[in-house]
This record gives sequence, structure tokens and C-alpha cells, in this order.
Amino acid sequence: MTALLEIRNVTRRFGGLVANSDVTFNVSKGEIVGLIGPNGAGKTTLFNALVGIYPPTSGEVVFNGQTISGWKPHRIAAAGLTKTFQNVALFAESSVLDNVVTGGLVNRSLADARDFAAETLKRVGIGSIADKLAGDLSFPERARVEVARALCTSPKLLLLDEVMAALTPAEMEEVIDLVRGLRDEGMTFIVVEHHMKAVMKLCERLVVLNFGEKIADGTPDDITSNPKVLEAYLGANFSTTAEAH
Amino acid sequence: MTRISTTGLAALAVVILALALAPLGLDPFGYALRIMCLMLLFGALGQAWNIVGGLANQISLGHAAYFGIGAYTSTILFGSFGISPIFGAVIGAALAALFALLLSLPTLRLKGHYFALATLAAGEMARIVANSWTSVTGGPVGISVPYRPDGGFWALQFENALPNYYLFLGAFLIVTLIFWKVKTSAFGYRLRAIKENEIAAEVVGVNTYRVKLYASVLSAAITAVLGMLYAQFQFFFDPDTIFGVASMSVKMALIAILGGAGTIFGPWLGALVIIPLEEMANSYLGNTVAGLSQFAYGVLLIVVILLNPRGLISLFGKLRAKFFGGNRG
Repeated sequence: MTALLEIRNVTRRFGGLVANSDVTFNVSKGEIVGLIGPNGAGKTTLFNALVGIYPPTSGEVVFNGQTISGWKPHRIAAAGLTKTFQNVALFAESSVLDNVVTGGLVNRSLADARDFAAETLKRVGIGSIADKLAGDLSFPERARVEVARALCTSPKLLLLDEVMAALTPAEMEEVIDLVRGLRDEGMTFIVVEHHMKAVMKLCERLVVLNFGEKIADGTPDDITSNPKVLEAYLGANFSTTAEAH
Repeated sequence: MTRISTTGLAALAVVILALALAPLGLDPFGYALRIMCLMLLFGALGQAWNIVGGLANQISLGHAAYFGIGAYTSTILFGSFGISPIFGAVIGAALAALFALLLSLPTLRLKGHYFALATLAAGEMARIVANSWTSVTGGPVGISVPYRPDGGFWALQFENALPNYYLFLGAFLIVTLIFWKVKTSAFGYRLRAIKENEIAAEVVGVNTYRVKLYASVLSAAITAVLGMLYAQFQFFFDPDTIFGVASMSVKMALIAILGGAGTIFGPWLGALVIIPLEEMANSYLGNTVAGLSQFAYGVLLIVVILLNPRGLISLFGKLRAKFFGGNRG
């Protein structure tokens, strides 16, 4: 099976800073891939490169058979690739429903987008707050509206950027069930999350970034025993002392 | 937000009826009726500005350019070729739309103040061209609309202000209807998304550049048609008035912002307050202190933005919340 997403040698520079350096990996349809790494490793930058906010300085992104690097974000969204925002970028003065409807307009009429948005809100478990202003919500509620708005674009591949931050364990379970359910319907995910337990539980495969470079790619078991990863997370001393003893 | 309650609809019907009956007791040649005509015309202008400035928060300070293009186009075509101002307005709207399109190509990528400054410069450019291109515009001395009392309806000239009043009322209601249609359509959702978070709008599929472009072009075309109505009403204008920063561009923006930018009835309230205020300032102070009304606009704009950036219309919401316990404060 060919890959849904091919990231080929993607580099993103901001002036002198190299935020992503020569990152290469593929994602197949139906995968849930965890993208992990220490703070500042370039995870959000890679998401922004994929959805076209800050396109790659060099390298290529192929999605669903088309080279999308260089496209505007709205065109990439229409092709079926979008993301949620880590710092939550809702339309604060609009209702929750109107936020989600806007996502649905990418490939639907207004009337259809309204119906689909109402359905999506229920599915994400926030049907009861549809009429509230997005700006009045708690952080966990906003994260869910982010997810609903992104889902309303009917993505083939959705990039989730720390949607589980500040959730209770029970709420995390709900999100994990939701993502699994959507995957079973054919969606594909790349997930950035700091909560390791949740990542290990949700993802069958992990890609590890450190200082903008990919340092590991494999199953959760492979990753947790990978010395490079341990070094990146826990510092150089840990791996050397671990070997010494 | 998009649904209108029965009471709201009834209130709207009463207001429109009141607007229709308002001039009947007044002297059709009098000053009061002229002020009311201007209120309707500038209310419509504020509403046209509201499409792009209010919904998408693209603060244009150059709308005088479109207004002047409409006024000059219809006047020149009428004066030199006897073409009805109604057709003149269509051509003026097309020219203004073209100008908005050309102006948008570079400016729509600008954000916030930079966009405001670029549009301000475009309006000034139009004023300078009108002042210098004497062979076509008549230059700084201004241009008169030839009086053709025999022209009938196609000349859009009337011997008193009463027909003008109803013409402007019609224009005002039509522009309000257009605004409402835009606001409640998919296009309106996209404009509001741009206002609130442009990057997030793009990422969920809004072609922000194209949406802003369409809104600018639509707003410009309507503004040009209103420019023709203004010319037929005033019979005379000059570049410094029609392309004026304070007298036109800022006034249009201020009417929408003071009343409530992005709201349907914001420009209604804005025009209701600003036009009489301006007339008072001009008649009481105009002879002693030149340019005072322009100064007053600046002060008013600063006060509104500091104290209540959502405009006068939000005060109604606050009152309703206070007395009926609504939750939208």
C-alpha cells in the first residue's frame, strides 16, 4: 500500500534557526502516529510545515499522491489535511456551533455544514455547549471545539497538537476512544502529546524529534528502549551511566 | 445570531414605517429634510463599509476613492454625454470594483494598521488625481451636475428633497439587506473567521485572500453607486470634499464603528448620531473654527475605541441583559 503522507527531507529555517532538519517519514492510511520529542524539538513546526502555515524551506510533502508543499493552507485543508492549534485558535466571539460550521464550509453548503457541525459536536461530546461563545469556555472545552472544527473539514489526515493537555484521565480516555473510532472509519492521525501514558496507549508507532531532526521511528516498545531517545529525554549522563552499571 | 425573533421583526417594521412617515410633516425644501437625506445616505455608506471593515475587520480608510469614482463617473457621463446617472452608476460601480481589485492585489496581504495606511494613501491618491486631471474632472474648482428638470426619472433630479428622501431610504434598506444576506451566508461565516483568526481560518479551509478580495470589490461597487446618488443630490462637489479623508473615508468607517462594527444596525445608529452632530458642529462652530468637525471625528473615534469598541449597539445588549437577565452581556 502506498503512503497517505510522505515527508521527504523536510527542512524549515527561521532566519539562522533550523527548526526542522531533513525530516523524512511516511504515514499510511489508518495509522495513528505519535510525534514526540522534548520541548523545542520542532513538533509544532513540522505540523505547520505540513498544513502550509510555514511551508518547508526545502524538501517535499506528498499527500494522497499530490505534492502539497508550497500550497496555501486552505487548499491543503480542502485536499483533506488539517490540524488543531496547540495554543487554541478559536473564533472567540463566535458560538461554538459557528466555529465548527466554518470548518464544514470547506466542502459543504451552509445548510449541510450546520447539520454536520451539530453532529460533530455531539460526537466530540460537546453538543450541550453549542450556543456558548467560544471565548467563554474552559481550556479543555476549547480543545474539544478545536477538534470538532478540524473534524468538520472531513480530513483524511488530522494532526492533533496537544489536545489532551489539561484533561482529566477520564476525559483522556474519551479522546482516545474518539480517535480510535474515527480511525476505524478510515481516518489517519499524527498526534503530538506530552502525556506519555496517553501517547503509548493511543499510538502504534512513534516518531521522535530532537533539535529538529528525526532520531527514532518505531513501535512504542522500540522507542522506550532506544538509547538515543533516552539520551534526548533524560540527558547524555543517563545513557552513559546506564551503560556503565 | 442569524435568526430574527418575531419581536425583533415587529420592531424593525415599526422603525421602517417611522422612517417612511418621518418626512411627511416637514418642509420638502427645508434644512431638516436635507439632513435626514444625508443620514440615510451615510447610513448606507457605513453599511457598505461594514461588509469589509466590520465583518472582516479590514479597516479601510480609503473608501472615499470608490465614492468619488462613482460620483465623478456618473457626473461626467451625464454632463458630457447625457447618459442617465442610473447607467453612470453602473459604470462607476464597475470602475470602483476594478480599482478595489487592483488595490487589493498588494494591500490585502497587509495586516491591521498597515492595511489602514495603505488604503488611506489610495484615497489620497484619488484626490490628487482628481485635483490635477483638470481636463476630465474640472480640477480643484469642482464639478457641477447639469440641472435637467425635463429629464424625468432617468435624470434622478428632483425639485425638492422629498423624492430624494425615499430614494435614499430605498438605497439604505437595500444596502442593509445586502449586508444581512452577506453576513448570514457562508461568505459571512468566512469573513468573520478572518476577523477573528486569519491563520486558523486558512487551516480549516477558508481562502482568506479570495474572500477579502470579493468583500472589498462588493463594498467598493456599492459605495460608488451611493457616490452617484450623492452627486445627484448635491449638484456640486470638489475633489477635496468627495475624496476627503475626514469628510468621507473616516466618516464612513466611524459611522459603522461608532454604531457597532459588523452588526446590522450599527451603521443605522452611527449615522443617526454622527450626521446631526456634524451639522450642529458646522452651524455653530464652523465659521469660527475651521476643520473642527474633522477634529471631533478623531476625538470621537478614539473615545469609542477606548471606552466601548463594540459600539453603541452593544449598549442595547447590556441594557437587555440588565433588565431581562440575558446572558450575552
